[in-house]
Parts: sequence; structure tokens; C-alpha cells
Amino acid sequence: MAEEQEKQTGLGIVTGTVEEARAMIGHVSEPTYAEVGVNWAMIKYYSALIEDANPSYWDQEFATKQWGDIIAPPGMLITYMIPINWRPQGTVDYPVIATKVPLPGPTLINFSAETEFFKPIRIGMHLNFVDEVLDISEEKATRVGVGHFVTTVMTYRDSDGDTVAKNTNVMYRYTAKEYS
Amino acid sequence: MLTEVEGCVNHQLYWDDIAEGDDVTRVEMAVPYEKVIHNAAATWDFFPGHHNPEYARSQGQKTIFISTLFFQGFADRVVTDWAGPLTFITRRKIMMRGSVYAGDTMYGEGKVTRTYVDAGGRHLVDVEVVIGNQDGPQCPVSITAAIPTKAEAG
Repeated sequence: MAEEQEKQTGLGIVTGTVEEARAMIGHVSEPTYAEVGVNWAMIKYYSALIEDANPSYWDQEFATKQWGDIIAPPGMLITYMIPINWRPQGTVDYPVIATKVPLPGPTLINFSAETEFFKPIRIGMHLNFVDEVLDISEEKATRVGVGHFVTTVMTYRDSDGDTVAKNTNVMYRYTAKEYS
Repeated sequence: MLTEVEGCVNHQLYWDDIAEGDDVTRVEMAVPYEKVIHNAAATWDFFPGHHNPEYARSQGQKTIFISTLFFQGFADRVVTDWAGPLTFITRRKIMMRGSVYAGDTMYGEGKVTRTYVDAGGRHLVDVEVVIGNQDGPQCPVSITAAIPTKAEAG
């Protein structure tokens, strides 16, 4: 059942032992490049989701005067590292390193995220990111199951190499109660 | 007037006008199943807990639930709806203590905890935002925003 649950995520979650996981602390991923540049269509669709009427996302004149162009809501940052879910060449591996750390837990839920933003994310920018494993916790039980917390830091850069944002993320990799 | 686009946020608070203890205006939003599916499509996050109720239940969840990226955008919106569109979010920390499910009504509200100037001369405001649903608070969010002074805004 646990294997079946992992397959359904489509994230290529790697399972293994906590000792194998700890060996990955300090590992930094190769850069991943966003599938598409920052664009107004995705900004509008995300802003519609949040029902966010900030003119920075909707009004070209205001946004150009204030930020230099239309900008992306900061909540979209992580979207730029999620691979498109189909390509003619085949599916693309999910680049988030917390899914590649070998741990017993076949599923996951995000626990916390601390993000610093250093510059506005403008239309036309092409972002890339690298992901580093900072820590693996002891085994811990929570309301949803038993597992480990994986702390990673993602650094986002633009095509000039400037750091746009850093995201320190804690992901819970766990076995759900009914599977444990 | 900041914008001529009808319906857009068209007011701005300035750093000089903000004090510790100020309330940040509450925002509410219905979260029907359509919204959770829109969440997956708009963020490209098709983790099955966000679109497949059977999978969500196998994870120990009630049904499909909104993603971190939705919480983050909603928390940012609570601050920028209140302060205005000249606001730049410089830092945001979110703790996913609970979930918001399809069928819920969510809210966000907050309070100013600190106003200060950093070493780089930026005028900053710290806000503690709480995002919850009809069952109470679910996610605390700490946000730092750079908000211009009246003099900077001209």
C-alpha cells in the first residue's frame, strides 16, 4: 500500500533509511531552470485564485511606474520550479530535493516555509534555482502519521545571476496512520 | 489615485502612519472544490492531495486541501490589501499547522508587531497574520513588509 501511495504522487519520492538520508546533508542540487519565463497569463491566473486586486499584477501603467513592469505575486515563487506535467519528450522529474532524500515515508506534507525576497519578480525574468539539504530530524509522530522533517534551502536567481529569493523549507516525509 | 483600473486596490498606508498594535483588515474567501482545483492548475502543483479526495484521505486528510502556495499568496494579500500596492514583501514565514479543505471558508487577519528601519535604511513593518477556517486558526504567518514613508512616496 505504501508503494502504491508513493506512485500516485507523481513526484518520484525516493524511499530508504534515515542513515542514507543523513548522508545527503550538505548536498546541493544542480541548477533547475524554470520551464517558462515570468509571464502575465500565469500571474493573472494565480491572482484570480487568490482574488488579489493589487494593481501591481493587473495595471500595466501602475506596475511600470512602481516596479518597472508587471510583477508576479511573491506567492508564485515556488511555481517557477515545478515542472510542467507533460512534455513531448516525456515527463520531467520533480526537482525538489526533499523528495529525493531516501527516507521511510512514502508521502509528504509541507510543514513550514520561510522566504526572503530581494527584488521584485518581473515579467520576462527567467528564474533558476538550486536546492540544498540542511537537516534531517529524528523520527516524530504527528496528527497525520510518523516520519521525519527535512529542512532544505532553495536559492532562486535570475538570468543575470542575481539572487531573487531564498526559501528555507521544512517538509514532513511520513507514513500515514492507516499505512503504519 | 494610484490606479485607474476599476476594482484594484487604490489606497496606500505610509510607514509613518502605522504603529505597533494596529489591526490588519480581515479578508474572507469561500473555498469550494473549484478553488482547490484552480489552486493545482494555477500553481502547477498537481500533488494528488490537492485534486484527488481518495488520495487525500489516504494521507490522513479529510478531503483535498489547498497548497502552501495558496496560503502564501493569501497571507501576502492580507498585508497588501491593508497597506496598499506600494508594499514590498521582504520576508514571510508560514507554519502549516492545519489544513484548509474544499468546502471551507477561509479568513486571514493580522496585527502589526513592530515598525523599524533596517541597516539598509528600509522602512519595515512586521505583521503577524493568522489564516484560519470555520474551525479556527490553522496557519500562523509572520510577514515583514517594506512600506514607503510619505516623504519617499512624494
